[in-house]
Amino acid sequence: MNPRAFGSRARQAWTIAKIELRRTFFAKRSLWVFALALLPAVIFFGHGLDATWRVERLARRGQTTAALIDSVQVGERLEDVRTRLGEPTGEYGGVRTRRVRQRTGNAGTTTHVIEPPVDARFVRLNLTRPSYRGEPVPVARIYEFEVYGPDGRVNLALHRPATGSPPCSPEQGPEKAVNGSVGGGQADKWCAQGWPLFLQVDLGTVRPVTRFVVKHASAGGENEDSDTREFNIQLSGEGKSFTTVASSSGVGFVEERSDYRELGYFDGRREAGFHFVDGKLQNKIIRRVLDFEEDRLIFAGIFQYFYLRLAIFFGCLGIFMYLFRGEMSNRTLHFWFLAPARREVLLVGKYAAGLIASAAIFGGGALLAVAAMTWPHDPVELQAYWNAGGVGHVFWYGATAALGCLGYGSVFLAVGLYVRNPIIPAAVLLAWEGASGIFPHVLQKMSILYYLQSLCPVPAPMEDDAPTLIRLLAAPAAPASRPGAILGLLILTAFVLCIASLAVRRMEVSYGAET
Amino acid sequence: MSTQPPAATRASAAKRAAGAERGHGAPASDGVGGSGGAKPPGVIFEEVSKFYGEVLGVNRVTLNIPPGITSLVGPNGSGKTTLMNLMSGLIFPDHGRILMRGISPRDPETLMRITGYATQYDTAPRWATGFTFITTGLLLFGYGRREAEEKAWKALERVGLTDAATRKVAAYSKGMRQRVRLAQAIAHDPDILVLDEPLNGLDPLVRAETIDMFRAWAAEGKHVIISSHVLQEVDVVSDQVVLIANGMIVAEGKIRKVRDEIEEHPSQYIVRCRDRNASGVAALLFAEDHITEIKLNDDRLGMLVMTRDREQFARALGRIALDGHRIESVVPADENVDALYEYLIGGES
Repeated sequence: MNPRAFGSRARQAWTIAKIELRRTFFAKRSLWVFALALLPAVIFFGHGLDATWRVERLARRGQTTAALIDSVQVGERLEDVRTRLGEPTGEYGGVRTRRVRQRTGNAGTTTHVIEPPVDARFVRLNLTRPSYRGEPVPVARIYEFEVYGPDGRVNLALHRPATGSPPCSPEQGPEKAVNGSVGGGQADKWCAQGWPLFLQVDLGTVRPVTRFVVKHASAGGENEDSDTREFNIQLSGEGKSFTTVASSSGVGFVEERSDYRELGYFDGRREAGFHFVDGKLQNKIIRRVLDFEEDRLIFAGIFQYFYLRLAIFFGCLGIFMYLFRGEMSNRTLHFWFLAPARREVLLVGKYAAGLIASAAIFGGGALLAVAAMTWPHDPVELQAYWNAGGVGHVFWYGATAALGCLGYGSVFLAVGLYVRNPIIPAAVLLAWEGASGIFPHVLQKMSILYYLQSLCPVPAPMEDDAPTLIRLLAAPAAPASRPGAILGLLILTAFVLCIASLAVRRMEVSYGAET
Repeated sequence: MSTQPPAATRASAAKRAAGAERGHGAPASDGVGGSGGAKPPGVIFEEVSKFYGEVLGVNRVTLNIPPGITSLVGPNGSGKTTLMNLMSGLIFPDHGRILMRGISPRDPETLMRITGYATQYDTAPRWATGFTFITTGLLLFGYGRREAEEKAWKALERVGLTDAATRKVAAYSKGMRQRVRLAQAIAHDPDILVLDEPLNGLDPLVRAETIDMFRAWAAEGKHVIISSHVLQEVDVVSDQVVLIANGMIVAEGKIRKVRDEIEEHPSQYIVRCRDRNASGVAALLFAEDHITEIKLNDDRLGMLVMTRDREQFARALGRIALDGHRIESVVPADENVDALYEYLIGGES
């Protein structure tokens, strides 16, 4: 191509871009793009305002020194702390009650006496609330059921025939409740599941009984919560009609009360919260009201997880899909196609308009967010940050946002040329971009996000114990170098634009059936 | 057209001439290049077909439209807009080749400098006033802003829209929108004007002025290609008429020639007989001079008859029926074209 033709086409593309730019910036449909771009700045500005007001509020209530706050030790008495540090900036407290299991100390064994003795041959143990756990399927766990006559020495139930609800397993049948032992572990108990839960012992002949001993789950070494909570004992002479002679609500819950008190102190930068229980310091939390390091990490997280993945993605979708597909649905595309311009020049002009608009909106949004994040912080601390590469960070945040528009813009421009409805390709692309971290390295390079994440100046915060899969999804395992990332992104964009130019050359104006 | 073309236009004219030399210029029948005062090459369609999916747009259209006013006439849905969209590169043919004064519609960069197309699409960008709409279009031609504004104003003057120039196009009446599209098509002073139903919605005074404008352009050697579904609207101004129905060119040429053609153009009828006597009826029909062709069906009940004279054909059928041949039905094979013929013949009387 001769240089003059190239120059004239470049001027024509720029004219197209200028016409489109005005429409992209000032169209009503761009409002939500602006909203997406400005959201992080608004969040940080709000956070900054809140923190500044908080510092002022705390300072008005009184201040102590950092050394005194640091001197407070867990276990100290409330009066001592108050005497040493003075009046707190905030104080509140009260009585906290909570329901706890009543401890009986009976090692899971309950005894029930009836006076006078009753003559009976069949003794039945009915479990109405078999544990304290509130299990969905009720489970009976009885290690031993003993029956005594007036002499009180001989266990009348020992090794007698026992029946009951179907056992949990063959080795946990009713006979295990009358075998005279509790020390054989899980296999030494009667276990049954599902209503009704009962255990019946045939004493052989009718004889007077006066005392019953029930050994529950904890008697066999299980957790106390598995002990029977409510049950009753019935007797019968002939095994048909039973009379209830004893019942137990087991052991219940009691309310435990404790006095607690929170004292707040402020040393000009940090606020301390001391938590006392029954007059003793149980734990303390000391944190900076405005923590620059923390805000910086939060910014990195918001930038990578929200701004790059969602805001720029959907913003570019809105801007670039409209450039051709929107004009088609508004029936105004012919206006462009009737201009004396090559279709590729039209594509470049429109892409340039979308790119300038989106890069200005999202690059500007990122810079504004950095400004909103830094303004409330200590100037000295900020100066140190700028000196230690902070300026570079800001540049790369802005550049990454703009390069994101470059990459996503080309993709959505191409998608708009090939597909009518953006929802399905956008969903597929979002899934591809989101999941690309777990793909092989070669495929990762087909993702815009891979390059953008490689350009981010601060790695996004991640919990130390986060699963490997989440780590891979959040950030590339082997990020590209900065020049490599920019080159890769440019190549990918050029490739996508080539595909788009093939489509735009073949594109026909089709607003509906016209003949 | 007193305006001096801008540098870009002059450059494109030079390029056009170069293009013709490169071999994609007009065919030899025109025998001319694009310059030197000779007759400019025509608008040429060679065996052009266009389908919308499985629906036919136009079928095997071959045309050679010389400069002057040419009207594409046909019923609604006959393919007029498809032809115009093909000329301007808004759609592309599936088969065949189109050359607009030697330039392919696939080269909008060159073609649209010499072509103005007033579409039927009744939309304009929401932001645009009549003036900005046309000025914006002209900026894409490479004109400076001042020059573009001058040209836009001149175009609006020519269509009588200066009073409404600063109002939003979206608020225009139908006739005003029609005029603003016309203004946009003529603003860059093109050599080929393609105007889709340009007289629709114009009041009588503006219509007369517009027709005068067409005549003036034609006199300058421009192509003025207009479409209409109302023949009376265009036949007094047209140098040529292209008659189109069902996506096919039915007749083409000077208006008188078209009417003669139609008079002689064979009509097709499907005739069905009873008693398997089609061959007897066919023999009688074939003795008539005006019958050009008869195709018998295998079932010996039906036949396709082509005749040059429908009235004589009707009389002949009457005679045959009176002779005792039982004719069940006579149906025109192509009602749409037939209706158009009726219309044209009616227009002459």
